[in-house]
Order: sequence, then structure tokens, then C-alpha cells
Amino acid sequence: MERLGYELAELPRWNCCGTVYSLSTDDLMRHVAPVRNFVRVQEMGEGRLVTLCAMCYNTLRRSAQFVSADPERLQRINAFMDEEPDYRGGVEVLHLLQVLRDEITFEAVEAKVERPLYGLRVAPYYGCMLLRPRGVGIDDPDRPETMELLFEHLGAEAVDTPHRVECCGAYQTVADPGLARERVAEIVGAASRRGADLIVTSCPLCTYNLERHQLVAGDGRGTGARHASHVSRHGIPVLYFTQLLAFALGVPEEELGFADAAIDPRPALSQRVGG
Amino acid sequence: MAEELKLVRGYPEYMLESIERVHATRAKRMEEGPPPAMSMEEREEVLRFHPDYAPGGKRPLNVGPNKGEIAPNEVADLLEAYPVVDPGDLDLSVDIDVEVLILGGGLAGTMAALWANEEGIPPDRVLLATKLRHGDSNSVMAQGGTQAADKPYDSPVIHFLDAYGGGHFTNKPEVLRALVEDAPFIMKWLTELGCLFDRDENGEFVEDWGGGTSRPRMHAARDYTGMEELRVIRDEFRNRGFMLLEFYPAVELLTSPEGRVNGAILWNMETGEYKVVRAKAVVLATGGFGRLHIRGFPTTNHYGATADGLVLAYRAGAVLRDLDTVQYHPTGAAYPQQIVGLLITEKVRGLGAQVVNREGECFVYPLEPRDVEAAAIIRECYERELGVVTPTGMRGVWLDSPMIEEIHGEGTIERRLPAMFRMYKRFGIDMRKDPILVFPTLHYQNGGVETDPWGRTNVPGLFVAGEVSGGVHGKNRLMGNSTLDCLVFGRRAGIAAARYAEECPRPGPITLGHVERFVEELRAAGVPEGRRAPILLPDYRGKRVLARMIDLL
Amino acid sequence: MGQEIMERIREANEAVITGIDDADIKHWVTIYIMGKAYRVPADITLMQAIEYAGYRFVRGAGCRAGFCGACATVYRVAGDWRLKAALACQTRVEDGMYLVQIPFAPAGKPAYDLEKEPPEGSVLLRYFPELARCVACNTCTKACPQELEVMDYIQAALRGDLAAVTELSFDCIQCGLCSIRCPAEIVHYHVAQLARRLYGKSLPVPEHVEERVREVEAGKYAEEFERIMSLGREEIEELYRKEQREKGGLKSGDASRVTRNGRGEG
Repeated sequence: MERLGYELAELPRWNCCGTVYSLSTDDLMRHVAPVRNFVRVQEMGEGRLVTLCAMCYNTLRRSAQFVSADPERLQRINAFMDEEPDYRGGVEVLHLLQVLRDEITFEAVEAKVERPLYGLRVAPYYGCMLLRPRGVGIDDPDRPETMELLFEHLGAEAVDTPHRVECCGAYQTVADPGLARERVAEIVGAASRRGADLIVTSCPLCTYNLERHQLVAGDGRGTGARHASHVSRHGIPVLYFTQLLAFALGVPEEELGFADAAIDPRPALSQRVGG
Repeated sequence: MAEELKLVRGYPEYMLESIERVHATRAKRMEEGPPPAMSMEEREEVLRFHPDYAPGGKRPLNVGPNKGEIAPNEVADLLEAYPVVDPGDLDLSVDIDVEVLILGGGLAGTMAALWANEEGIPPDRVLLATKLRHGDSNSVMAQGGTQAADKPYDSPVIHFLDAYGGGHFTNKPEVLRALVEDAPFIMKWLTELGCLFDRDENGEFVEDWGGGTSRPRMHAARDYTGMEELRVIRDEFRNRGFMLLEFYPAVELLTSPEGRVNGAILWNMETGEYKVVRAKAVVLATGGFGRLHIRGFPTTNHYGATADGLVLAYRAGAVLRDLDTVQYHPTGAAYPQQIVGLLITEKVRGLGAQVVNREGECFVYPLEPRDVEAAAIIRECYERELGVVTPTGMRGVWLDSPMIEEIHGEGTIERRLPAMFRMYKRFGIDMRKDPILVFPTLHYQNGGVETDPWGRTNVPGLFVAGEVSGGVHGKNRLMGNSTLDCLVFGRRAGIAAARYAEECPRPGPITLGHVERFVEELRAAGVPEGRRAPILLPDYRGKRVLARMIDLL
Repeated sequence: MGQEIMERIREANEAVITGIDDADIKHWVTIYIMGKAYRVPADITLMQAIEYAGYRFVRGAGCRAGFCGACATVYRVAGDWRLKAALACQTRVEDGMYLVQIPFAPAGKPAYDLEKEPPEGSVLLRYFPELARCVACNTCTKACPQELEVMDYIQAALRGDLAAVTELSFDCIQCGLCSIRCPAEIVHYHVAQLARRLYGKSLPVPEHVEERVREVEAGKYAEEFERIMSLGREEIEELYRKEQREKGGLKSGDASRVTRNGRGEG
């Protein structure tokens, strides 16, 4: 972000967004964790909270709306958290993609590109948490274009895939790995058929699922790998959008964690972009 | 509610005048530095004010292996006491049979268990029994640090010299040598177990001065040193699955007809049931005697420090030594009343705080050996009459803690002495800004059961480690050598006990013959019948309640 | 003279050693020990008050100095809805206090072999998967008598940040009050213990320590020990005084400087 002239400050004493409990039936308890983070933002004297993760974004944004919609709920949460200053409301939750699009602007990003991604075919994968429900999502839930536009400004070609706004299987990966594998096979299969070099995500869990289940499916041992034949043996590398962005902005490769990827993205990148 | 004493910054109003004087003289005192350390002659002169040297506190023992030697009255009362169980009246059928029985759950006992296991005894053949919870001990209260001569400017030989001189050259040299030579290994071993000693920005250990040390070699973990050491090795103990009995003090050792120690009687403090444990070797790691309040002094010690181990070992024929000296820590809290006697670690003086009288004068070099420093404070309060009197009638002198922040920068106290800062804060006193009031407090049992460098005693089968043992510190222990003692000799006693157990084919029949013989000796010496030991716990119940108590159930 | 001073000291300490004399008490409060009312002196600790009332501790008292966690106590004060937690030995009585001690915390601890575990944050979740149940309610923090930011270190554990857990949990005395109150049933103090040990294990033993251990094992000091152990009293005293005087040429400021330690400010 420094390269883009934009400063993000880390929240002191941040806690988990509370996503594990985001579907809990207890309406109030699940908002304690998000609101505590908002209190920290307030204590910093700031009004906006940026997150990198689609799931955190969804949880935090929905909580922000939940408490601002009903002052009585907020009062009850504040009363429970009596050891903290009251949350007064008003913290705006943003996904980093929004910051890039609306504040920095993709044009400004383009101006800083040092390694244009000409020739690289990138399939954006949004998943569900970033776009739904309407009113929380950062873009049109059916026809999003934020990532497509970003990649084009980085010089790459955005590959349109039919499953880019569908679920990756999420936490079912624990309870029913077969189901997640099936989802991944479809998503990756479609990207593969359309000739994508890379899939790019905005959520760590999507990244995990897309990488891991691809490998299992690719080995032909996956139980639900109906589309296994469409997936190359080596799979399609999966990157976080920030990794691709930083690569285009000229951040040294060693800092980008490529070596930790389950499917090495470096061959694809060097082949197309020339490293 | 009735009106209460008005406090300002945690202190009664009448003390403020003296506190302001301490503030007013600080700059000058810091510039001039403390008075020089005393000469040997000056030391002797001031030691007349030490409770050990003032007459009236001790008497010769009339029975047992150390007959004729002197001990503090309170200790002699327990050594010359009848057993709490009638030796002829107990069913001695065995409840638990183990290779090694360890009595005491502090650093020494826990080390003994781990190292008996390292030596090959499986964890389910080692039983650790302790009077309170595993870890309730003086060990966890050790704040200041652990000495180990591991820097290039230092050597085990210099560590030896410091401790030998500090002990007035009465230490058992070969035992002391084991202490100082094992110390670097102990630091290495603890670090590998994940124990966190303070480090500097280069990852080197921060090593500080202590009273009577000629090199800085004190390793601390903030001011939770003993706690950090204990909780790490206790965690290791729990991982390995040793047998453990808590709230089960030993009330008597068991011996074979030839006089070997081969077990103990444990007593469930909650239900009253006793258990007979047979063991091939017994490690006594029961700690010291602070809760006997020798000469009426308050104490830094934990609730269970009642000399049980001395009593049991003495009856089994173990020779004791150096019991005639008692360590009074120069700086116990003298105010507020709620924390009287609690330890104000020597590290406070090590970090530069001066000891100052009512008039704001620094009257003693702050890092004299403990007995000298304590005697000087008593003299200042009771002979020169320059102490501050508390609302409950105690006297004390100021420890100028704000100097630490002046010397080392703001925030040092919270960082280096968080436990003490927290304690004073709980009672409304900010030790960063105001001095704290101190007076000597009963701290440590210098002597104990005589041991060789491997924790062996003159009684076969009986091993000792930690404060219950005698010899390594001679007649005065230096700061940072007690946790080290527990760690070094806990390990050595554990190893020696394991080897002994392996060589010993059978523990032999268990008897209380030694107790019967001891009772005869007591009767012959005319010891009054009512006196019983071990006492297990001190009694702090209200006087009015005790006066109107009847026992019905 | 010494003996007379000792008698005066004994008298001055009377209240602490043998219990308080009713005649000396000016201020009183009423507290409720497990529901039963007792009139006790104001200005004493909960522990002293329970004893004054006639109880003799078997459980519930340990070091009596705030280091061991044996005297964990929960209480409410009449008129205040909050449930508070404290160490009985470190807390002054208040009028209208209702208290009960929690001298034992049922908290399971998984066994692990530290030698086999890499010093990585992910180890924590493996042994304590319930960490992920934290709802950030902060009840643990409110229950901590040491005033540690317990929830913050649990969150740090969740992120696998061993250094942060170490720093935030270092002053933990393992009384267990956090774990008794936790709705997610996390055993905080065991989590922190494993985190600190993993972090500690990741720090190398300083080279000068390793070197000294090797020297001792090689018998480097044997000769010197034999020499000084054979000296007469006067010679060794002379040697001792010399070391005490010269202090190896080191000044008091040399080693006691305040420095950052490896796990952060400590």
C-alpha cells in the first residue's frame, strides 16, 4: 500500500471478527466480537476499518449494520461490554478492494504498475461473502466487475467464468470434504476450460479450498471429482488478489509468499510476464 | 461504617512529612551515592542487632543426633516433640508401593521427580506427595533470580568464593562446589524446556548484581523467577504422568529394622485418612520453617513452611547442621498492615534504590550481605530511633523505590518488578512515585539436614534437597542461591535416589521403630507430653473464636 | 540490649503473628463467608478476615503473597450486580461482601512432548482446538485477579502469535478463574503455558552458557577448586575480600542496565 501512497494502520488489540458464530441463533452474543473491534477503531480516533478477507468483511459489515439499525441492540451490547468505552456507532467497514476501487482508484493503481501483466489470463473468483447479501456486498451479486477491472488495469486479461460468484464449499471442507471437492472441481474445471493461467481470490478460506481440493482431485483420488479430467495434473495456481497486485507493482517476489503456495504460481507468471 | 484512617497516596497523613523528606533529599543522595560498604569490624559491631546474635533466642537440644547443639527455641520445640500419630497404634499394611517417594511439591521435589525419571524410573513408579497443591511452596515466591556464573567475566570459582564468604566460610565446600558447577547446566536445561529468563536485545541473558556477589550473575524472569521456573517444570511433570498426591503431608517416615528409610505415612488433610507408602528411596524436599515466626518476626514464607521435614528426618536419625542461624531478609514490607512481612526483593536495591531513614538519610550501603543489612535496619529503628512507626506499632525505614525510575528510566518498575508494583497498587501505593516502608522479615532456613553433594544423608534411603537441607549455604545464604539449590540438588537427589532404588533389591519391612525409640528418648529427657509435631500448618484463627470453641463432631 | 530490642519487635508484630486483639480494633465491617455473616476488622485482607472469623485453611491458602493462585475468590458486594474475582491474600475486605473461594479449577491439560513440537503457533490449535470457540466476550479478562488482558492473549493464540501470548500472559499465576468463567470452555492458562514454552524453546541458549557448560564438563575448573578448597581460613578470606572489593573491575551500572529482552519488554 505504501507504493500506492496509502497508509493503513493496524488496529491495536484486534480480535477475531467472530465469523465462527456469525450464524449463531443468539442474536446479540455474535456481535460482541465485531463491536469490540469497532471500539478499538473508535479508540484510535478513526472511522473506517479495512479488511482483506471476504469473510471478515461480511461479518463485520453485517454487524455494523445490525447495531446501527437498532440503537437498543447497541445499548445492550455496550452494557455487556461494560469494561470498554461505549461504541457510538458509525464505523464504516471496507474491503480492501473497495479502497483500491473507490479511493485510490484503479487508474492510480495502473500508473504505479512496474511489471504489467500483459498476456496473463486471470480468472477472478469472488465466492459468496464479498457480494451477498445485497446491501452488504461490494458489487453486483450476479455480475460483479471489480476484480475484472482491477486485473485489466494491471495489464492482465480477465477470464469470465460461470462459477465465480458461487460458494467454494467453505466450512463444509471440514464436515463434508467430498462436497467441497465437488464445488472446487466445478469452479476450477470451468476456469481451466476457459484457459485461465491463474485463479485469484479475496478470501483465505476460498484460497485454501481451491488449492487443496484441486490437488486431491488432480490426483484422481478425490471422491467427488466429477470434473477431474478437466483439471491439469499440476492444477491452476491460486493467488490472493493482493499477491498479484503487489507483483504487478514490483514488490520483490521473495516477499510475496509464492513459495508457500500449494501450486506454484511462478511458472505461469514467468511464462506469461517474463518474471 | 465507622470513619477510617485517612490515607493520602496510600499512606497515613502523619507519614507524609517523612516521605517528603525522602523526596527532597533524593537528588543529593543520588549524586553522593550510598555510604561505603562496612569493614569486617563494622559488620561485627552491627551484627549485635541481628536476631541471631541477640541473646535469648536459642537453646541446646536435649535429644537426638544433634544433642547439645543449639537451635532457635521455636525449632527446638518441634525437634523435641512427640509424634502426632501413636506408633504402636497404626496398621502399617501398604497402600502404595513405589520406587521413589518424593515429599514436597516445590522446585526441589519436582526436579527430583523429573530426574529420577531421566535416570530410568518410570513415572508411574515415582510418587510425589505434597501438603498443599503441587507448586505451593516458597519456590514460586522467589522473585529476585537464580545465580549462575555463565558470563566470560565470571567463573564457578568466583561464584563459590562469593557464596563461601557470604556463608561466613561455614559452607560444606564439596556441596557448594556442586551447586556452582551445575549452575550453568541448569540454566541451559531450563532454557531448553522453554523457561524464559530475561534477555537483552542481542538475546543474551540479562544478569544483575545481588547482595554479596562480586559479579553480576542473577538470572531473573521479571520478578516471577521462581514462578516461571516452577510452572515450566510442573508442566513437564504433568506431561510425563507421574503419580501425585496433593493435600497429603507426610506425618512420619518409615524405616526398616536396620534403620534404612523405606517409606512414609501420608495423611489426607481433608478426610483424616492416612496412607502407608512403601518406597525404596525417599527424597525429602519439604522446604523450610518461616511459618514458625522465629523471635516473633513476620515472614515471607508460604503457608506450609512449618519445618515438617526437619522433624521427620531428625526422628529417623538424620544429622542436622547450621540450624543456629536464621536468615532474615533485610527488606520485608512493614506497611500496609495487609502485606506485612512479604518480600521486597533484593533486586529493588540491586536496581539502585537506597535504604533511607525517617530524616531522609541513606544510612547503609544497600548491598551488604543480608544479615548485615538487616541488622543495620534494626539498629536504625530501635537504637538510633530513626525509623517510621506504622499505625499498628511496627517500625520501618524507607526503600527509595522512585530512584529506580530515575536511574533506569520511566517504566522500569512496571517492567522489571511487575509483581511488586501490582501488590502495592492493590493497596493504593504507587511505588514509582513514593518510597515504600520496610523492616527485616524471617526469610530462610540456612541450615537443615546435612547432605553430601548428591543429596545423600547419613541415613540410607533418605535423600534431601532444597531448603530442608543444610550445608550448602553454611550460616548465611546469598540471594539467587536458593532456587539454584532446589534445582541443582533436586536433580542430584532425584538421580541418587533412582540409583539407590535400582541397587536396592527390596525396601524391606516397614516399621516405626525409630519413632518408638525417639519417644523413649524424649521421655527420658523429661520433655513435656503435650508438645507434638509436625504441626503441618500455622494457626491464625481469631483469639476470641479459639477461646469459645468446642469440638462436637 | 539486643534481647530487649527483640522483645519490642515481637510485641510490635503481635497482630500479624498471633491474630488481632479485639481491643485494638477500631473499625469493623460485615462480610458473608459462603452466605454466613461475620463481623471482622476493617482494613484486613479477605484471607485474614476468614481466619479471624474462625476458619483454618487447608485449601484456599498458599503463598499468602499473591504468587500462587491458591486463594482465588469470587465475590459480590451488596448493591453491586457485578461478580468480581480476587486473590484473598491481596484484597481488602469491604462491608457487605459475599464471598466464596474457588480453590481448585477443573481444567484438563493435554499431555505433549515439547521436544517433538515445532515452536510454531499452529501447535496451540492442535492441542486446544476449543480456542476457536472464543466469542471475544472478555469475561476471562474481567475475572483475572492479575489484571491481565486474557482475551487478548487467547486471540493472539488463535493467530498463532507465540511472542504476543508470552508477553501478555507472563504474569499469570495459574489460579484458573478465567477458565471457570469462560463460556467457550477454554483453559486459558494451559494454553498460555504451552505458548510460553514453545516460544522459550525457540530462543537459543546463549553461546556463553553453552561454552561454560562445556568448560565445566571438561574439568576446566577442577584444579582451581582444589587449590582454593585447600586454602586456610585466612588465605581464603583474603581472596574473598579481594573479589568483593574489586568486583572484577565491573561497575554497578554495567549489568543492571534495563534492556529489551527477547520476548519484548520484560
